[in-house]
Parts: sequence; structure tokens; C-alpha cells
Amino acid sequence: MPGLELRNIRKAFKGTEVLAGVELAVAPREFIAFLGPSGSGKSTLLRIVAGLETADEGEVVLDDRRIDTLPPGDRGVAMVFQHYALYPHMTVRENMAFGLKNARVPRGEIDALVSDAAKVLEIEELLDRKPGQMSGGQRQRVAIGRAIVKKPRLFLLDEPLSNLDAALRLRTRVELAQLRQRVDAGVIMVTHDQAEAMTLADRIVVFNDRRIQQVAPPMEIYSRPANSFVARFVGSPAMTILPARLDGGGDFARVVLGNDARVDTRVPRNGLPQGETVEIGMRPESVRVCGLGEGTTDAEVQLVERLGERSLVYARLRDGAAITAEDEGTTSAKVGDQVGLRIDGAAAHLFGPDGTGYHRQAA
Amino acid sequence: MAASVARDRLPPLVWAAVLIGAAIMVAPLIWTLLLSLKSNTELVGNSGAALQPPYTLGNYVAIFGSSSTTRWLLNSAVVSLGTTAGVLILASLAGYGFARLDFPFRRSLFVLVLLGLAIPSQAVILHQHQLFADLGLHNSYPGLILPGLIGPFGVFFMTQYMRAIPKELDEAAMLDGASRFTIFWRVILPLTVPAQSTLAVFTFLGSWNDYWWPLISATRSDMYTLTVGLAASQMNYAQTSGLGFLMAQAVFASIPIFMVYIIFQKQIVRAMAGAALK
Ligand SMILES: Nc1ncnc2c1ncn2[C@@H]1O[C@H](COP(=O)(O)OP(=O)(O)O)[C@@H](O)[C@H]1O
Ligand SMILES: [Mg+2]
Repeated sequence: MPGLELRNIRKAFKGTEVLAGVELAVAPREFIAFLGPSGSGKSTLLRIVAGLETADEGEVVLDDRRIDTLPPGDRGVAMVFQHYALYPHMTVRENMAFGLKNARVPRGEIDALVSDAAKVLEIEELLDRKPGQMSGGQRQRVAIGRAIVKKPRLFLLDEPLSNLDAALRLRTRVELAQLRQRVDAGVIMVTHDQAEAMTLADRIVVFNDRRIQQVAPPMEIYSRPANSFVARFVGSPAMTILPARLDGGGDFARVVLGNDARVDTRVPRNGLPQGETVEIGMRPESVRVCGLGEGTTDAEVQLVERLGERSLVYARLRDGAAITAEDEGTTSAKVGDQVGLRIDGAAAHLFGPDGTGYHRQAA
Repeated sequence: MAASVARDRLPPLVWAAVLIGAAIMVAPLIWTLLLSLKSNTELVGNSGAALQPPYTLGNYVAIFGSSSTTRWLLNSAVVSLGTTAGVLILASLAGYGFARLDFPFRRSLFVLVLLGLAIPSQAVILHQHQLFADLGLHNSYPGLILPGLIGPFGVFFMTQYMRAIPKELDEAAMLDGASRFTIFWRVILPLTVPAQSTLAVFTFLGSWNDYWWPLISATRSDMYTLTVGLAASQMNYAQTSGLGFLMAQAVFASIPIFMVYIIFQKQIVRAMAGAALK
């Protein structure tokens, strides 16, 4: 099977387990984002693929060849480091040529490869500069250039945009997406920025607590989170998750919130776990502010954030539970106001006692 | 910024103090220079004559006439350069090992190196002398150079410097297919040039000015280094050609050191400042 396969990867540092049996298959030319909180093992897994770290157990297979036994330089992968790791004493040209020289590529060929890559990345005028004489964005490009010239089968990027300022990060994100179309290789990018993962990746791998929590395309991660961790972690502001009680309904589950508010969901009733304790998850955009008594429930406004085109209203239900709602940009809600909240049950998610997510049937 | 303002407007009193300090430091040097430019006969009985012309280069001509001084200069150059080169090579290799390689007893060995800093050379001089005698190394260049290569400070210095180089660079080079040696030679070593030059300057100066070991090891006057040679001629004051000649020797001997300071001023100042800040 072409592409990358990770089989049962385990890794512990001094007795502390960091990866507990990770399985993953990446298709050729696929763009994968590793997303997860800091310390969840994303970099460790990436470094195991690169050969900078050795797994305690498991196999790394690239295009049907086992690579975890090979030195990093022979694996057909290239890496872009978080702090770029350009060789400070070498010019851009030398930085890009270094790997090719080590691979004993003939001089003429090196020159051609380097100038091609420089053209694509628009860094031709930087070729004779040293890293110290360049801006962060320029260094970023050179780091990518150094990876590209090696024509790897897989690019590994560890938080490549995290050192850029916000504006540059957005621009580089777009460029990364364009660049991606031109290279004939897979990409794995580590990030803790969900916007990056959502916009760039074909599939997102969500990490937490030594394990992969979910592997799915971005929209599926957002609309059908596998468990309450993924639901909370992806989406900003975070999904509101409240304890609830199953209370009959027809084909679809009906739940009752702590304050007796009733929500009719579109989650099929069969398939739900036994018992009646569940959690309900609601994204802010499916909880709308309305007149007192007109909605699913009433609440007291705690904080209003005006974002321009919309406002976020942080409120408290009668039983004290915190809930995030959305309103018009021109909202009149003020701190301390009593308002009604209309919960769109069709967009609600349910989570079982073990955290497993249950969603409306896919369209 | 604050620092540059302070530099631009030094208060007059501070200026005066600095000037006086500088004058006190420079006076003996100028006095030496003036004495060296006088004929020896004029100085007999009245060294104050140095303040008036006529001046002459006669004493310097005499140095080149007597073969000893040039021979000693050559010895000092060979010993100092040899020691410096040796220390740089050993300290770089050992520093890389301690900073980057994982091997048994690495920590203990490093502590042992640090303990080496605490052992004064006087403590081992008898055995060292005996050892070199047994090996027949006295009155030879290896005999003068080898003890200078024992450099715990250099090893410590290079280890710390290399530790501060981000490991990501090694890792990038590994992914670039570089061998262990290529990483050392093409990536790490070039980045240590500032440390190398600092260490080189200090080692060179230390070796050039060393008096004790050459005094003990070099007993034949043709193996004297400059320091030993000059001291020997001054002890025989009665037999020297006089004060002016002595001073000319002193000036002559300090020229190489003076040049090292001028050329490496930046590194020396930086090293001193670094030591003060850390
Ligand atoms: N070389 C190492 N030695 C010891 N612990 C490590 C090492 N590298 C990573 N860890 C630990 O492994 C865990 C996962 O780290 P990492 O993979 O860097 O997380 P992430 O990239 O997701 O933020 C962290 O708890 C970290 O402290
Ligand atoms: Mg990381």
C-alpha cells in the first residue's frame, strides 16, 4: 500500500508513556494535520517518522518500505522545523544544497534544483544571504525550500507557522496551500492552531492523552466529533457541553437539561447507550438569543463580546450552568440582563457517559 | 538608549579620572620604549637621559646581531602556536563529545574535567618533571608543548558553547543525510568560530607568557623561550650590554603579544565582557 503507515507505535520517555499504540494510514499526496494540546505527543510522533526519535514498539512504513530502521537521511522524508533550523553560517544557497551534497548529487544538478525551488518560492534574490540577514517570513520560505529541493515523498512540518506574526501567518498559510498543489508528496503538519488545521488539511488527526482521538476531514471533525474531547477542543469559542437526561422522544432523542428545559435533538434514539445520563453539546451558533420566555430556556447574561458581524453572549442558566450563545452584531443584551435562549436541537450533539459522541444522521 | 547616552556624555570628572588612570598605565611602557632607543653608554649613571635626544635604533640592531633573541622568539612562536593548535583541536573534539554524544560515564567524566580546573600546576610539577625526564622530552618542542595541552578550561568552554547551539541544527543535518563527522565539521565547528578565537587568544597569550615550565624543562639556552631567555639575560645584568639593550629586548619581546591584542581586540573584549556578565 503506497503512502505512510504507522503500526502500533508506542513511545515512553523515562517510564512516562507518550504514545500508546498509534495506528495511522496516510494516502500519497494527502495533507494531514496533527492537532492537539501541547504535550499530547504530536511532535514525538512526527520525529519518530523522521527518525529523530526511536519508537519503543511499532513500525513505520513508507510506500511499502519499512523506514523506521533507516537513518533519517535515507527515509525519503524532509522536515521543516519550528525554529527553521537553518544553518546560520551558510548562505541560503548553501543551506538548500547541503542535503544534496551529502547525497552526492552532481554539482550541475544541485544548481538546477536549487534555482528551481528558489523560483517557486520567490526567494531568488535571497540566495546569497545568510539566515541572520532575513526576516522570519523569509527564513520560513528558505526552510521550506531546503525541504523541497530534496524531492521527498513526505514533508514533515512541526508548527511551521507558529513563529510568524498574525498577518504573515495568514499569508503563509495561503502560500502553503498553493505550494502543496505543486509538490508530488504527502504532508504531515503538526499544529495546535485549529484554523490552520481546518483550512489546510485533507484530514485532521486529533491527539490527546497519548492516543489519537479522531481521524477525519475537517468538517467532519467539526460537525461529528468522535468524543467530547474533540468537541471541546475544536471550534472557537468552544462548544457548550452540559449534563442532560434522556427523556423519551420518537425516533430521535429528547433530552432535559438541568433546569428542566427540553431539547428535541435529531440524534437517532437507537444506538444511544443504556441509562439516561448523557451530555448535550451545542455550538454557540446553534444557541440564539431571543426574548425572555420565548426560547427553549431563560438565562442571565454574564458577558457580551461584540465581534462586529455577530456577538457572543456568555450566559448562565437558572441552575448555574454556563452556556455560550450567539446574537446579532448589534445585540442589545447587557451584562445582568435576563434573556431567552433558543437552542437548535437539530444541531445538538449527545455524548455518552464514556464521552463517545452521537450525532444526527449524516445527510 | 541609556548606554549610548552615557557614552556620549561622560561627566568631566570621570573623563579626568580615566585619563589619569590611562597615563599611569602607559608611563612605564613609554619609559621602556624611550630607554630602548638610547645608546647604553649614555644611560650609564643617568637614565634620565632617556628624555632627551639623540635617539638611536642601535639596540634593536644589536638584537638581530646576537642570535639568541631571534632563536628564543622562534622557540616561543613554535611552542605557543603548537600549544594553541593542540588545545583547539582537543577542546573542540572533547567539547563535541560532551555536548552531543551519549556514552557511559559522560557526566562523571565531565565532572572529572572540571576538577582538573582545581589542580594547580605547581602540585604536579615534580612528577611532571620526572615523567618528561624519563621520556627524554626535556629540551624539546614536544616537551614544552605537551603540558600546555592539558586544558580543562578549554574543554569546559567548548562544551558549554556547543551545548548552547540548538540541537535542531544537528537534527536538520541528520535529515540532510549528514554523517556524524559531517555534522561536527560542517555544521557545529563553523558555528564555534567566536569561541575558537577567544580560546585561541587566551591559550596563545598564556603560553607566550608562560615562564615556569619552560624554565624547568628547557635547560639549554637554544631551547629557551623568550620569557626564559630574557629573564636569564637580565639576571646577568653585569654581563649584558646595558640598560638600553635590555629594554630593547623587552620591547621586542612584547611586539607579537601586542599584535595579537590589536588584531583580536574584539574577541578579547567580548570574552571579558561575557565572563563578567555570566
Ligand atoms: N526528549 C524527551 N525527553 C523526555 N520527555 C519528552 C521528550 N520529548 C518529549 N517529551 C515529553 O513527551 C510529551 C509529548 O511531547 P511532544 O510530542 O513534544 O508534544 P506536542 O508536540 O504534542 O506538544 C511531553 O510530555 C513531553 O514533555
Ligand atoms: Mg510539539
